[in-house]
Amino acid sequence: MVTDRRRMIDRRDFLKAAGAAFLSSLAPGAFAETLAADAVFATAYQRRDGAFGAAILSEAGKILHTVELPARGHDITFDPVSGRSVVFARQPGTFFVAFDPRGKTPPVTVQSIAGRHFFGHGVFSDDGALLHATENDFENAAGMVGVYDAQAGFARIGEFPTYGVGPHELLLLGDGRTIAVANGGIETHPDFGRAKLNLPTMKPSYALVDRLTGDLIEKHELPPELHQLSIRHMDTDATGVVWFGCQHEGPATERPALVGRAVRGRELELIEMPEPVLAGLRNYIGSVAANRDAGTIAVTSPQGNSFAVIEAASAKVVATRLLTEVCGVAPNHSGFLVTTGTGTVVEPDGHSRDDAEHVWDNHVLRIEP
Amino acid sequence: MGICRVVAVAVSAVVAACFSAATSASATEAQDIVNRSIDGFIRPGYHAFHQSTSALYEAGKALCAAPSQTALDAERAAFGKTVDAWSRIEIIRFGPVTEQNRLERILFWPDRKGTGLKQVLAALAGKDPTATDVAALARKSVAMQGLGALEFILHGTGSEALATGDAHRCAYGAAIAGNLDAIAAELETAWAAPDGFAKIWANPSAQNPRYRDGTEAVTELMDVFVTGTELVRDVRLGGFLGKDAAGDKPKQALFWRSGKTIDALAGNLAGMRDLLEASHLADALPAEATYMGKSALFELSNAADAARGVDGAIADVLADPDRRAKLVYFGLVTSSLSDIFGTQMSGALGLTAGFSSLDGD
Repeated sequence: MVTDRRRMIDRRDFLKAAGAAFLSSLAPGAFAETLAADAVFATAYQRRDGAFGAAILSEAGKILHTVELPARGHDITFDPVSGRSVVFARQPGTFFVAFDPRGKTPPVTVQSIAGRHFFGHGVFSDDGALLHATENDFENAAGMVGVYDAQAGFARIGEFPTYGVGPHELLLLGDGRTIAVANGGIETHPDFGRAKLNLPTMKPSYALVDRLTGDLIEKHELPPELHQLSIRHMDTDATGVVWFGCQHEGPATERPALVGRAVRGRELELIEMPEPVLAGLRNYIGSVAANRDAGTIAVTSPQGNSFAVIEAASAKVVATRLLTEVCGVAPNHSGFLVTTGTGTVVEPDGHSRDDAEHVWDNHVLRIEP
Repeated sequence: MGICRVVAVAVSAVVAACFSAATSASATEAQDIVNRSIDGFIRPGYHAFHQSTSALYEAGKALCAAPSQTALDAERAAFGKTVDAWSRIEIIRFGPVTEQNRLERILFWPDRKGTGLKQVLAALAGKDPTATDVAALARKSVAMQGLGALEFILHGTGSEALATGDAHRCAYGAAIAGNLDAIAAELETAWAAPDGFAKIWANPSAQNPRYRDGTEAVTELMDVFVTGTELVRDVRLGGFLGKDAAGDKPKQALFWRSGKTIDALAGNLAGMRDLLEASHLADALPAEATYMGKSALFELSNAADAARGVDGAIADVLADPDRRAKLVYFGLVTSSLSDIFGTQMSGALGLTAGFSSLDGD
């Protein structure tokens, strides 16, 4: 691994960039009480006036805490050791912000190094010492994982390849050492915004990488006829199986399977779904979440305005729902809490809350009390 | 109730997403908007593109049969007209154009690694006989069978020889024109078919494989404007216009060799204007929001005016502070249009315009 010069913006610069002060919508005392009692949920958002940020929500979708962002965020990861959350810029964004909802430490904004941008996802090591983020080495169209020292102001201390193009979500597997990466296969370059540069020749893959050595452990591709099926989001079930959701970049008239599972040492397996369910997902899975206690997996489709719940053991769809712009999904009780791009939070029991001021971004993370 | 999606979900909650709760819009209105888009813009647009490619193919064959400067000029002019026609209709990035890699086969861009150029140069140097056959070319790399490759044939290094006779280069160029003409014919036919994609888009229903209801059908149309303005600003303009003049990259501009860069940008916005007018999408806005339709047309006109003031090779434009400033202004207008379409108009119509769905992550 190579080392990089530490790059950070101090808080004053960040606030200037964000154009507003660090906000807390609840008094610290009230927030601490809520945190102690229930799980909370973290998500990036856009305010209806256009500004971007990240929020901590209660189970009922009430905002407990917010932090403003200079541009659109994407996923959030959490370190239970320090209690800090990190929100990543949406690709091709160049920042992440670490923040402590208890307000013990001010938010820290870290910029990507020259020649790299973030893809919106990252994960801490179990001991909270290191943060790993998917990044684009865009001149070489190579996926990378940037490694940051969480105990030294998120100094970037190294990187290793994802062994594919356009990495998206990454997971730390149960051994605490193996990182699973969804290499979506899509080449982009910040000179051309979010334009997809290689759709006719894209080749997504699923890679397992040793986060300590950077070595490739396993790499799997889908069959050649599915080369436009971009593997993007994942979660791990209670047995350690990784469930992944795909986005099909080929014609809308094609109807490939969109959900699959990965087991070490085996080829990727795609899951069959009843035709109406698959059709309702419109070739696009925006988020994947496992409820390990309930033994279920939820996959959401904001393009299809629907989501499906799969029983992990049987790989059968057990429930579907229509919900406009549903995307964020996280386990809660025996079901899932979902969020939408229209500003709605729906609890597992069907209770929903519409936020007049915010719309929710693609992902929501459950944070245990 | 407007064009509403009211869905009883698994438990007892009811989710309603209305096209517009404030207007008397109906499912019929959504259908009318879609039908007007098809008949008033998409079908004529693909027809015009097909006519331009047919003329291009004829001019290409004529150049090969009797090389002359006049014939080369005619083929170059036909190329320019093809770019103009394509730029208007290329804002349609759903439906038949997404099948068989047609979008990329017509125009593979950006080509960051210069893959297309390398392949074209190799085909020219090796006098690849399969590059001169329309059917064989259609099976080759997308980067060597469309407008980008043809631009190099007609305007790149060595293109002058076409006037005096470079049989292989000329035949390759004619084959590209023939390939474009075949793709354009497929697109025109696919959209004209009464049972084709047009029927699917114009008839949303619970059983429809693509569009459950009027909201989803109209969202597809709204996405044309939202993604179209993003394409123009972030991809096409942002690809070569730096934050300051020192950051400009003129050779990253689309069609820099043929001097069609600005025409193509203007064509994209002209297409959006035509589609906005043909669809009467703005008629569905609630009374208090009708100004948004006018704002959009006003800004589209501003952009067109700015583009008209910027002629010449893109490198010259960027080197001239006055003309460069017009391009910067053009970029500002497209940002304004993004806001009008993506936030204001979508919000007023009750469409979310895909905060989390549109070209998501």
